Amino acid sequence: MTAAPPAAAVASAPADVTPAAAITPTFRAGVRRRRIWIWFAIVLVLGAIALLVLRGGAAGAGQRLGADNPAPFGAKALVEVLGSHGVEVETADDFDTALTAAKSGATVLVFDEFGLLDEQRLSRLAMFADRVVVVEPGFAALEALAPGIRLAGAASGALDEVACELPAAENAGALSTDQRLFTIDDEAASGGWQGCFRDGEYGYAVAEGPSSGDGRIALVGASTPFENGRITERGNAALAIGLAGASDELVWYLPGPLDADPDQAPTLGELTPGWVSPVLALAVVVTIVAGVWRGRRFGPLVVENLPVHVPAGETAVGRARLYARSAARRHALDQLRLGTLARIASALRLPRTADVAEIAAAAAAATRRDPGQVRAVLIDAVPTGDQEFVRLAAGLDDLEHAVRATLAPETSTPQPADHPGRRP
Amino acid sequence: MALTGRFALLVALGVVPVVVAGISSAPLAWLALVGWLLVVTGAGIVDLSLAASPRTVAFGRELPDRVRLGEPVASQLTVQNLGGRMLRATVRDGWEPSAGVAGTNRTRLAIPPGERRRMTLQLVPTRRGDRRTQQVTIRSAGPLGLWARQATLAAPGRVRVLPPFHSRVHLPSRLTRLRELDGRTPLLIRGQGTEFDSIREYVRGDDVRSIDWRATARHIDPEVPGNTRLMVRTWRPERDRRIVIVADTSRTAAARIADEPRLDTSYEAALLLAALASHAGDRVDFLATDRRLRGRVHGASGADLLARMVDAMAGIDAELVEADWALVPGQVRAVTSRHAFVVLLTAADSPGSARGLLSVLPQLTARHTVVVASVADPALLEASRLRGDLDEVYGAAAAERGLLDGERVGAAIRRLGAQTVTAAPHELPPALADRYLELKAAGRL
Repeated sequence: MTAAPPAAAVASAPADVTPAAAITPTFRAGVRRRRIWIWFAIVLVLGAIALLVLRGGAAGAGQRLGADNPAPFGAKALVEVLGSHGVEVETADDFDTALTAAKSGATVLVFDEFGLLDEQRLSRLAMFADRVVVVEPGFAALEALAPGIRLAGAASGALDEVACELPAAENAGALSTDQRLFTIDDEAASGGWQGCFRDGEYGYAVAEGPSSGDGRIALVGASTPFENGRITERGNAALAIGLAGASDELVWYLPGPLDADPDQAPTLGELTPGWVSPVLALAVVVTIVAGVWRGRRFGPLVVENLPVHVPAGETAVGRARLYARSAARRHALDQLRLGTLARIASALRLPRTADVAEIAAAAAAATRRDPGQVRAVLIDAVPTGDQEFVRLAAGLDDLEHAVRATLAPETSTPQPADHPGRRP
Repeated sequence: MALTGRFALLVALGVVPVVVAGISSAPLAWLALVGWLLVVTGAGIVDLSLAASPRTVAFGRELPDRVRLGEPVASQLTVQNLGGRMLRATVRDGWEPSAGVAGTNRTRLAIPPGERRRMTLQLVPTRRGDRRTQQVTIRSAGPLGLWARQATLAAPGRVRVLPPFHSRVHLPSRLTRLRELDGRTPLLIRGQGTEFDSIREYVRGDDVRSIDWRATARHIDPEVPGNTRLMVRTWRPERDRRIVIVADTSRTAAARIADEPRLDTSYEAALLLAALASHAGDRVDFLATDRRLRGRVHGASGADLLARMVDAMAGIDAELVEADWALVPGQVRAVTSRHAFVVLLTAADSPGSARGLLSVLPQLTARHTVVVASVADPALLEASRLRGDLDEVYGAAAAERGLLDGERVGAAIRRLGAQTVTAAPHELPPALADRYLELKAAGRL
């Protein structure tokens, strides 16, 4: 659209001119022609919307251990079972709700996936609650709640050594695979902490002990015993129900965005000015608009029938590959010899009836070479290997040049700079 | 519908209000973004509704009928706005790629209601034959130039691209040789291939053996009573010979040798021979054939001959079929029943593909003088000299095999009484012309 060829005004337009026939259909005709596809698309979109509504909204994968999440890593199964056995389950996603409920004597199950709670809050929660179950505690949570207990990696397999007198653990008897372990040092052990489900000398999957208040804290290393997908394996269900259903009320506390500590360093979103996100959105829109601008085709493609064109050298190339693949050295050399013999014969003005032996003898005589050698190159020698073959082929070429050189010696010797024809 | 770059720029300019609003608060920036997008979309819709319809347009074309390959041609298109609004159009003429449109093929026109504008495109066609355009696409922008309406309208056009006839550079030198043969450089020696031209007075230097004594006896010298003037007979080459050029358009003609299809080389050779022969006073007929008669030029002479030949050649391309040589004697017989000089432009390089030709040659050579002209591949000759490594030697052997095959076919053709002309693509036309001159001088046409 940059270079505009010249356009000129034309005078005296005739009055009655019929417009050129349009190839592009009008909008209405286009809709009519693609009616079936449009209906198809509408049905698809409506179906997709209906499916979304039936599946309960477009909530993505859901929260891990969400109390209403039926996905394999949710915890809806456990919450439903507890509810049907008379445990009042309250879900909480901020600290204040959880603390209020804890003060009223409920068991608190804390699953702090992203480490949002700081030590102070955890301590307060543990202090006021009668029973706290901490699932998958992080390093900071262990520091705050149970200073002598350390993370000790993943368990080696299923665990069936209960190793403690905790009723829930005794009921469970065994745990499935994919547990995580704690070690309990002597100081913590003397402080009343005990470990359950020992994995050899590596550690324990569950730790239980007194809180800084007068309640009890249970630490479960992995979220596996509570997950929908794994709760039915081995004693997982018994442990989960035993820990979470110890009292009539349960607070299912998954710390949410409101628990983010306002005193912490500002996030990236808070640091950027308010216009950055809108400008990024605008950049996306501009990209789409520019794509439509450049991508819109200027009319239909022009179709052209092109003639067939066959490279003539193909036959020779293919034949050369055939020779090479079957290593037909002798046959290939015969072709070269036939051509060379014919050219030598015509160069030496031999009669057409001359046979190969006569041509070889004549070539040897013309070049003053050993007749036996010339005859070997031209007729007798059989190539035994690739090197020999290449050498014989080069010898043929050499011989032909030598014959030509004897016939026209003046062309092979360099001309003197002073041209003999030019006389002063 | 189409968007313009101006619209994209306008959307991008929204960064100014968004940033200005965003300095105070983030929600205000989002509001500014949405507001800006609504405003520009509204402007686009208004612009589109004010654009002239690209459908109420009439076209006129001015195109030269014929152009030689490689020469530029101006394609003129007149666009008339039949609607009631100013048409701000960008126009694309839908020429085939081989038509070789110079530039971007996007012409901007501003046409007031009822008026016409002419646009000119420079074409340099890259391929022989009919180059066509079927459609013209018009993109009509609104007064603001934001959104545009687009439609493609039928506007057929055609320009016939003729074979280039590069070999005409060889024509002057061959015409000189022809003149030497011809009566203008009178021959005093009677021989084969000459016919009686005239009797004229002897001048010093003429061969005394050509003095015609009977004519001398009849010519009384008016200045010296009783004496006679010496008269000599002059001879000139035969005229009014029949020449039939048969171009083979079958699959072998599609092969590219030295970046030129065999068929194009055949055309060059045929055109040079026809130009030369028509100057020499011979009658030339042209046939293009594979399994059927593809083109025929019969009974034309002078400048009309070449014009009709290039016209017939322009539309004929090689097809992937095997040639049916059994048809050729009949086609030649349909042209002339007398003795003629028949030139077969084909590929005589492998015994397999030449079998059909060899089987019908006796029928032709029995009545006519036949020359089989074929292109030799210079790449084969080059490859047969290579001795570098193993692959090259195998390649040389294969090339040598190809050359030997060509020689065998050539020998077979000569044994059947025809002659062969074999040369590299650029040398075939002059070689064929030289053979024609030789035969003419020898009186064997």
